[in-house]
Amino acid sequence: MTAGRVDPAAGDWRGPRRPYDLVKEFIVALVVVSLLTVVLALLFSSPNEKGVTLEQWARKAPNDFIATTVSELAGTSTSAGYGPPYNHSSTGQQIGPLHLQKWAGVRIPVDPARAFVIDPLRTMTGDAAVQAAVRRYEAAPSAQQDQWAGAYADALSKAPGGDPAQVAAGDYGPVPAMATGLLGLAQSGALDSQLVNAGTGFYQADYTKPLLFLADGGYLADLAQAQHLSGNQWGMMNETGNFPGQPWLWLYTFWYQVRPFSTSTNADALVWGLMMLLSLALVLVPFIPGVRSIPRLLPLYRLVWRSYYREHGAPRR
Amino acid sequence: MSIEALVDLTGPGRYLDWRFIQISGANFAVIVLMLVVFVLALFLPFPGGRGAGKR
Repeated sequence: MTAGRVDPAAGDWRGPRRPYDLVKEFIVALVVVSLLTVVLALLFSSPNEKGVTLEQWARKAPNDFIATTVSELAGTSTSAGYGPPYNHSSTGQQIGPLHLQKWAGVRIPVDPARAFVIDPLRTMTGDAAVQAAVRRYEAAPSAQQDQWAGAYADALSKAPGGDPAQVAAGDYGPVPAMATGLLGLAQSGALDSQLVNAGTGFYQADYTKPLLFLADGGYLADLAQAQHLSGNQWGMMNETGNFPGQPWLWLYTFWYQVRPFSTSTNADALVWGLMMLLSLALVLVPFIPGVRSIPRLLPLYRLVWRSYYREHGAPRR
Repeated sequence: MSIEALVDLTGPGRYLDWRFIQISGANFAVIVLMLVVFVLALFLPFPGGRGAGKR
């Protein structure tokens, strides 16, 4: 701004004033929006996709279930390498030197091999073969456990369709028996309730473990992909079926589609940081010279108050 | 008892693709409707607003 010239956007209003009933406007808007909500709900209803269960996963994609179980034992699953808040296996998301995920700390400790595989298998007390497999696995040194699980994971990835029945012969120890045992447990529906945290009281609502286990597999990701809900499909904006989703999240999900965010392993932290900066800029619009003058320079207000400006002419600059 | 919706929006979603941009038909319709409402708000006269400024 040049010296001596006053920005009109920063000044006080000196023109005429008129009364305005804000309460009346609020009530009219409330009634209209409430009526619209009821009518639209009657017309279109709402999305009601049934929850995905471990039983469903184990029945519909048993090979994926087996491969994911083995990856939990091998420590190569997404949750095994996630870092905070579940474990210390990585530092997680960061913005430059700001280790946001690490600073948040391990608040929900989850050992995937134990929580998703070994502990549930221990409850199958009626199955002697599974119990013997678990005992053999736990008695072995850690390096031996990793070797068994790693070798079986490799063999599964090379088998046609990941079919355990077509895996090449090898030394996999008790891992195949454990994976098959967990598959049976999941197909019976028992694993769904076992992984829900019973420590949350009578009404159990902590689905952290089943969700982590489900997300480690390919089945849930395939379902999400088919419904256009994945991160690289602008999924944040979308809803299942033909229902409208969250179009107001377009800018947040936009960044995930373009470089460098689309190829960064820190995309979540970077996009969050960028959106915080942009949100701060939006809050500070009244204080940013030039930007705060856009409403005055784009005179939409003259269209809204056209009858006033027809009578009083153009505003004084 | 559940009431069936008059318009069924379940089933495979329809999506518009243009380069890296993907948008569902439903979201596109909502955005167009919001723009229509914005333009209507600009051009429709205020009910009873003619004499209001003269009070």
